[in-house]
Amino acid sequence: MRILALVSLVLTGLLPVCRAESRTLRVVTTSEDLASIVRAVGGDAVSVASLSSGEQDLHLVEPRPSMVMKLKNADVLVKVGMDIDMWVDALISSARNERIFYGAPGYVDASVGVGLLQTPEGKIDGSMGDIHLYGNPHYWLDPVHGKVMARHIAGVLSTLSPERAALFDDRRKRFDAEIDRKLEEWRERLAPLKGTPLVTYHNSWVYFAARFGFEIVGNIEPKPGIPPTPAHLARLVDVMVARGARVILVDPFFPLQGPRAVSERTGARILVVPSSVGGRPGIKTYFDLFDHIVGQLAGA
Amino acid sequence: MKHMFSFIVCFCLLVPPVVVAETNIMESATPLPGMRGTPLNLPDISVVGVLDGHVSDDKTDSAKDRLELSDVETAFQGYIYPEMRADVFLAIHRHDGEYEAEICEAKASFLHLADGLGGEAGKIHVNFGKLNRIHEHHRPMIDQPLVLTNFFGDHGLVGQGGTLNYLMPLPFFLQFEGGAWRVAGHHPHVSEDVETTQVTDVNGNVVDVAIYEEEPCTEFSLADEVYTGRAKTSFAPTAKSELEIGGSIAQGRGGHYEEHLDKAQVVGADMTFRFWPTAYRRWTFQNEWMHLRREVPVGILHRQGGYSFLQCRLNKYWDVGARFDYADNAFPDKVIERSGSAIVGYHLTETSDLRIQAKRRRVGDDDISEGWVRMTFGIGPHSHELE
Repeated sequence: MRILALVSLVLTGLLPVCRAESRTLRVVTTSEDLASIVRAVGGDAVSVASLSSGEQDLHLVEPRPSMVMKLKNADVLVKVGMDIDMWVDALISSARNERIFYGAPGYVDASVGVGLLQTPEGKIDGSMGDIHLYGNPHYWLDPVHGKVMARHIAGVLSTLSPERAALFDDRRKRFDAEIDRKLEEWRERLAPLKGTPLVTYHNSWVYFAARFGFEIVGNIEPKPGIPPTPAHLARLVDVMVARGARVILVDPFFPLQGPRAVSERTGARILVVPSSVGGRPGIKTYFDLFDHIVGQLAGA
Repeated sequence: MKHMFSFIVCFCLLVPPVVVAETNIMESATPLPGMRGTPLNLPDISVVGVLDGHVSDDKTDSAKDRLELSDVETAFQGYIYPEMRADVFLAIHRHDGEYEAEICEAKASFLHLADGLGGEAGKIHVNFGKLNRIHEHHRPMIDQPLVLTNFFGDHGLVGQGGTLNYLMPLPFFLQFEGGAWRVAGHHPHVSEDVETTQVTDVNGNVVDVAIYEEEPCTEFSLADEVYTGRAKTSFAPTAKSELEIGGSIAQGRGGHYEEHLDKAQVVGADMTFRFWPTAYRRWTFQNEWMHLRREVPVGILHRQGGYSFLQCRLNKYWDVGARFDYADNAFPDKVIERSGSAIVGYHLTETSDLRIQAKRRRVGDDDISEGWVRMTFGIGPHSHELE
């Protein structure tokens, strides 16, 4: 009998799913950017884990069994969506947690409600490179979209924990206000650079460029996801010289051979800029990310 | 003034507004794989083609010195009910010089039967070890490890039946799975153009009978009713690494059960360690070992085999790897095979890649050198479950 009681005690301790009411909401996100926004909105009422780190290319995160366990116990999954984090779909199936299945209250696609750029029209295929069906998925790099994501996340958290809805709404409003305040600051710092032509490695900076008035005149990749060729780089050099592009933005995980080859022939400066929270030491929040990017560009 | 106002109103109504709509609002969640088909009620449809070139100094190898389309796989994938999806893979592949159509895999998956419990039913690549479940075009090597071929046949262990899997409610990953299958054993391919001869039967009539050459059977697989089980656990020693350990068992009959006593049991163990030092670089160290116990009229055979595979993905596009194989055959006349392979891969997209493999194989006392080049190309949304 004593053994039975002991086994029951151990199993109770191992079954966190059974004690769902009196605890914080467990949120799993596919990116550190989303985790930062969830922390800002949820505060102490949520525990947050990200399946990827900011140093990774979000397109190519490899799903692993240990991620399944995070999802199995989650109340909420927040994904970037638009196919950039498709790898999470196999994990959801393996976790068999109906709280986060597609269509369940705990399944959050953060792209819902976001204004998208470069949505393809007509037929798309592999000849266009790794084109995303629903538009350019790097939308979190516009801080105004942070507010859309925060509103969406706050709504879901309030639905799942109505007694804390006022808390989530209050924190969301403070997040929005902070975005508005910082946006003015970032705009002011980048104002002298408005209209500056940029080259980026991947097509990941269009939302940032649109918000702050930069002009992207070319990419190191000839088409999204396709490695650069000498012929493409030669053409890009001509474009950069003609347009006066002096800066090449490169996410930290991309190789530098292509940008260096272009830089040597144009004198353009290579800026290795993180595109996600955690992409560099010290970037711990969504605000830190833009502070860092703006600081690097302003100092270029 | 009144006319001017009317003119402006009419002008505004007649002239369509100039839309500078760069942005579209995402109105609903991105559809899952299986929900992509257009029109909206179609499943995801995709095609994967495999072009193989093979050279060998083995004079008995009928597939050597060829460059040919070896496999075309079409996939139809979609949801048939909430938390229930269907995946059908139809393949046309080249076997012994001829193209054959077959149902490679066709299954219904029940994602949530109860908390932690899922299941699958249909024709399925059985979840035994690490590689058996993975379709050939999706593996990080061109040929199949010897142990899988010697114990499960050319196409691995594929059965018709069902399986239940249970993810334990523990803080770490531990999953148990049990399945019951009917497996088609290996049947030698007999040409229709067989030679015949005339003989006189017991009634004095002259009749035609076919002449078959007696050839020693070199292929083995499980057959008839097969029961399988698998346990798999996984740990993340660090944020950038993962260790997976699994054990599998398959119990049933051997492929020759219709001719003589043939009971078979395969027990396997596997270990995979993966390490991601940077965003794209990944080291994989994968090992599988299997033991076959086969009961035939001449006695009980104990055979074993395994492989060890080390791969480094150098960057987003290139990977290099090496594999060492060891395997006994499954027959009373024991033959040991050993081989070493070097493999290089270049990835164009998730479903399209180029791969080259060189292999040196020792069968008994004979050394054989082989080489492959493979191009795999994919069109459309093609997905497989978590491996």
